[in-house]
Parts: sequence; structure tokens; C-alpha cells
Amino acid sequence: MLKLFKTILKTGEATLKYPFAPLPVCDNFRGKPEHKPEQCIACAACAVACPANALTMSTDAEAGTITWSFFVGRCIFCGRCEEVCPTKAIVLSPEFELAVANAADMYQHATFKLAKCAQCGEYFAPKKEVEYTADLLKHAGMTTEAVESISDLLHTCTDCKRKQNVPEADKVEFTRYLKGNEA
Amino acid sequence: MSGHEKIIMPGAGSGMPTPIKQSEEFQKLKGTLLKDIQRSAYVYRVDCGGCNGCEIEIFAAITPLFDAERFGIKVVASPRHADILLFTGAVTRAMRMPAIRSYEAAPDPKICVSYGACGCSGGIFHDLYCVWGGSDKIVPIDVYIPGCPPTPAATIHGFALALGLLGQKLKASHHVEGEGERAAMRHLGVPAELRVLIEREARRMAGYRMGADIADDFLGILGTKSSESLEARIQEYLTKEDDPRLSEIVASLCDISNKAMAAI
Repeated sequence: MLKLFKTILKTGEATLKYPFAPLPVCDNFRGKPEHKPEQCIACAACAVACPANALTMSTDAEAGTITWSFFVGRCIFCGRCEEVCPTKAIVLSPEFELAVANAADMYQHATFKLAKCAQCGEYFAPKKEVEYTADLLKHAGMTTEAVESISDLLHTCTDCKRKQNVPEADKVEFTRYLKGNEA
Repeated sequence: MSGHEKIIMPGAGSGMPTPIKQSEEFQKLKGTLLKDIQRSAYVYRVDCGGCNGCEIEIFAAITPLFDAERFGIKVVASPRHADILLFTGAVTRAMRMPAIRSYEAAPDPKICVSYGACGCSGGIFHDLYCVWGGSDKIVPIDVYIPGCPPTPAATIHGFALALGLLGQKLKASHHVEGEGERAAMRHLGVPAELRVLIEREARRMAGYRMGADIADDFLGILGTKSSESLEARIQEYLTKEDDPRLSEIVASLCDISNKAMAAI
């Protein structure tokens, strides 16, 4: 009997103190993805990468906004969003106490403004993303004046760019090969 | 509404179930149960077609290491003994009826908990043809525990929340872009081409997520100006981390950055 008590004393207590004391997690623990909306450029890379569709983007073309939404109830904590984020706006935190009583508390949203195309006036890309592109060009060695001179190009949607890339499209004879066959 | 939507939308007429409703009396009873529970809370876990990852974590939570029985939380083998029902899994078509049967078998008042990503919303299986997508589609849910699977500690936190011992930490948020908000550029001290080379090599050697972290640390050291030499700062970083794998990767990154700098 005494021997048993000795063994117990020597072994000590295996049970963790949690929830009365905070539980330390390991360095690479993947907890709730923490989103910094100030740093986010709404490029939707995370929404494309998310295998569970916990991250989604929705565009409101009327109001000119794009909304980033995160539903923690669907998140599988894989870290793909952190991998693909170009600005480190989303990082997996060590936060694991995620239980909620109210289902609405599982959602997180961030709304960003869209930029208008300089040619057709339609909304085409998040404003912050266009600005970030300009910053990247400056960092890659372009002068501020050079970036400003192509500001119109940066603010042009893909549709308008494609149209501009075909100069004087109406003068191109598309039927010439058919005509050649006839001759 | 097109015909396609009609088939998949939940509702009484479309073959999709509507959740079981709770009467007001039931809510009152549940309040009394939570306030005056003078005994252990018995938990029965209902598998609605999960992958068993959640079950493993539930059993990890009742092992001596986490010991949920300290708080009187006991896993029982029959829904007839249960106070808390733990719904795991995405609710597949085949497991819907067994889940409803165990809900009906549990004595009133009962607390229902959605466990894991699948239980909360269907998780990664949310858009499968045979999946109802979350236990709240069939029964009224009191507490949601997200996670894939939730860790034993998260499980204990969820139980404590269900019994009203701890408060919830997560809050809904909605950020709206402010005037002049701009994403900050990172690692401005490093040329863009070199940054790409370093990130590529780090990711090649350490995998995508860890590689990005290592490249980030390395670019941070490379980009900051300091009176100390670059070699000394890198050595200090490696000594602090004390990982031979990291040393090998950083040596390779140093090689690339030296070559690129020599070319300039």
C-alpha cells in the first residue's frame, strides 16, 4: 500500500490544468485563421485555395463592393489560405477556443471597394488590389512617374484591354481565306 | 426559382428535412436543467456519418490527460441516459433517421451540440449530393464546436459553454474598408527578383507553408539595415532556432542571395 502511494507521488499529476490555466500549444499549431482586413487586398486567392469553401467572396456590382466572408464552422484549419496570401493578411493563430452558442458568431465579413474601369466605367477589380499592383511595379524598379503614366492601363478592365489590343478591328478582312478558296 | 434550385433547396416539400422545433416549455426546462444540475452531465455521441476523427478526439478528451470527468462529464452508451447529445459528422442521408431516433430517445430536456466542422455546417462535405450539411438541419442545436477535428481542449471548452460554465470567445465581425486604407508592402529592402528566388527555393526545400515562413524570416533579416554584419545576424537566428534542417535551408538561401548580389 505504502509502495503504491510512493509510486503515485513520484509520478505526479498527469492531468492538464486546462481550463483553469491557459493551455500552451506548439509552435506550428493551426488554430483559427486571423484576418487583418487593413492588409487584405481582396484578391480572393484564399477563397480560391480554400478546400472547404469556408472562405468566400461575393461581388455587389450595384454598390461597387466586394465582400470577403469567413465561416469558421466550415474551416478545416489546413492553412492553405495562409500559404497563398500575397500580403500575409491571413495567418493561422493559436486560438482554439471556438465554441459558440449563437451560429451567427461563426461568421466574419470584410467589405472592400471596387475600382471603376477608366474606359467603360464598370467596376472591375478591388481598389486596394489595383493600388497594390502599382506599389509592386514601383518596388520592381519603375519610377513613380512611369507608374503614373500607365495609370490608365492599370485602371482598365480585361474586356477593354482586349478590345484595345485589336486596333482598327473593323478594317480587318476576316473572310479573305474563304475568298481565296473561291478564286 | 428554376427547377434545379427547387430540388436542392431545404424545405418541407422538397424532401429535405426541416429541423425539429422545440416548444417554449422545453426551453424553460432546459434553463432549469442548466441552473440546477446537481449531478454529472451525461454525454451521448451521435455519429451522423463522420470520418471518426471527431470520435477519437472526444475519447482523447475523457482520457486522464484532459480528464473531462473532473467536471462530471461522462460519455454514456445509450441516448436514454443522456443530457447532452453530441452530433458528429455531416449528416448523410443514411444516418439522418438514426440521428433523429437517438434525439427522440434522449429524455427531455436535452442539450444538443454540433461537433466538428462537419457537424457545424457539413465541413468539407457540405456540397455532396447525399449530405444534409450540418446537424442543425435536422435538430435544434445549442452549441457549435468548430474544428476538424476540435482538439480535446476545444472539446472541454465546448462542454463548459454548453453547461454555461464558460462564455464564448468568438464574436461576429464586419469590417468595412476605410478611406485611404492601403495594404503595406513587405520586405522593401530586398529587390523584387531576389525575393521571388528566395521564396521559391525556401518553398522547394521546406514545403509551401513552412517555406513561406522561413523565407519571411530570412527576408526580414536580409532587408533590415544594422551595424552587425549579415552573416552574424543569420548565425544568431540559426543559433536561436537550433534546427539542423533550418540551417541547411538557410545556407542554400544565403547562397542564392550572395550570387544575386554579386551579379548586381
